[in-house]
Amino acid sequence: MSKLEIKNLSFSYDGSNKVIDDISFSVEKGTFVSVLGHNGSGKSTLAKLIVGLLDKAGGQIFFNDVEITEKNLKDLQTKTSLIFQNPDNQFIGSTVEDDIAFGLENRCFPHDQMQAEVERFADSVNMLDHLKKEPINLSGGQKQRIALAGALILRPEILILDEATSMLDPKGKSTVRKVIDRIHKENKELTIISITHDIDEALLSDKVLILNKGKLVKEGKPQDILRDESALLEVKLDMPFVYKIEKELKEIGINSNAETIDQLVEDIWASK
Amino acid sequence: MSSMTFGRYSFRNTFIHNLDARNKIFLMLLFMVGIFFQFNMWSTALIMSGVYIVILLALMLISRVSLWSLIKSLGGLWMLVIFLMIIYIFVPTNNPKLPVAFTIGSLEVHWDAFCQAGYIVMRLILMISLTMILTSTTKPMDMTYAFEWYMTPLKPIRFPVHEIAMTLSIALRFIPTLLDETERIMKAQASRGVDFNHGGIFKRFGAIIALIIPLFVSALERSEELANAMIVRGYDPRAKRTRYRLLRFSWRDIIAFLFIGGIFAGIIVMFVFDRKNPIDIVEFFFHVKGF
Repeated sequence: MSKLEIKNLSFSYDGSNKVIDDISFSVEKGTFVSVLGHNGSGKSTLAKLIVGLLDKAGGQIFFNDVEITEKNLKDLQTKTSLIFQNPDNQFIGSTVEDDIAFGLENRCFPHDQMQAEVERFADSVNMLDHLKKEPINLSGGQKQRIALAGALILRPEILILDEATSMLDPKGKSTVRKVIDRIHKENKELTIISITHDIDEALLSDKVLILNKGKLVKEGKPQDILRDESALLEVKLDMPFVYKIEKELKEIGINSNAETIDQLVEDIWASK
Repeated sequence: MSSMTFGRYSFRNTFIHNLDARNKIFLMLLFMVGIFFQFNMWSTALIMSGVYIVILLALMLISRVSLWSLIKSLGGLWMLVIFLMIIYIFVPTNNPKLPVAFTIGSLEVHWDAFCQAGYIVMRLILMISLTMILTSTTKPMDMTYAFEWYMTPLKPIRFPVHEIAMTLSIALRFIPTLLDETERIMKAQASRGVDFNHGGIFKRFGAIIALIIPLFVSALERSEELANAMIVRGYDPRAKRTRYRLLRFSWRDIIAFLFIGGIFAGIIVMFVFDRKNPIDIVEFFFHVKGF
């Protein structure tokens, strides 16, 4: 059963230039989808349209086969969470625990159960020891993990990551990615839509969507789409590092169809 | 800029940190009102100023707010202090009680002018220090709840109590972030040749513009993203909400209330005594005449 279905979605900020132009795709329950595209391709706008932060100009959004309209938009919003790029701009509480609890307060969650819930979700992102800390005293990676806990505590069915790791240093990026991977493995029902510039990160997803000038130009499995270098270059994207090395290796007679660096290293060793 | 601690909450487990935010706000205002009582005799004012400073230092010690951070925060006030000094010194004093310090032409400047200027500056510093103790020992979220509680009577007339409290809380929460942002922009502009520290008034004004415009743009972008983050997490200012943190009065609040209430009562007694029977306390106790 399709979880999220987008049909002929369009949007324009000024009424004339379409930022999202007649996009249609569907996302299955529990999948990890990456949305790729260069700057200004409409990725973040698409995320905001899905969660109802922007009003669509045309098209339809279906969630669990029910069309989302103004009347039932709140229902969709209670089942989706969006994590933004800049961790500083989404920290509402004055301390880690206040921030994680913010969503629960809005959902009228019983006060006597909140503490346990906050601790549970802080623990799930390895931030249990930092509950009393202020945001200013946390690293970018830690802040983004708090944002993740604040989003997951609302038990969303769809989690959208809008370039959630792009402002982080390599260490922060790696820890946040590990947490996201673990959460996705533990929660098979959770659908994750990751909007990213990182082509190597997209390689690990179940499905890839490529946007260019507001249009959906490619859709499919990352193994099929991300090997097509010329098609990627047309939309100003690069090939994943693993595929680039594979291409170079092929020229010297080493064949590999690896999807990860580890597999690639094994293939190189096996060819010797 | 990052060294500025004014308005920045810091987590510590002290007596003052554990006080109810509503009580803290009330007691701070009570103490501030006390500070602004005007005494007839300079000697009484001097002694009371000493008492206020001792109480302030005690509060800083208990709350573990560093004196150095206060001094650094007050560093930017020197222009205001000089301005107040000039105003008070050169505005003729009514009914001077102290002798003439110097004369400029026909203008006699009495020692009262210096005392008045010093007294005003001292009150200003005390007010800032008390606010600093409040903000650095109270979580912005607790402050929000406290203000909301105080404004509860206005709810029936549809006064946007919650919205105002939330705005205040976010403003307090973003002080450190915007200070860091200011520092970043200043460094970026300085690297492009903008000089914030030298030059005439017009050059400095130009430099400030180079700081203010990007800071405003950045603050507006942040506010939009923050609003989106709040909507996504289900925030609706008109909807009912539960609370993670509940404000509760405890035995600490009673002690704090009795302490500050006692001081306030003492100030009133001194004030009434000073009005009805103005005596020179310095002369009365220490037998030193002429103050």
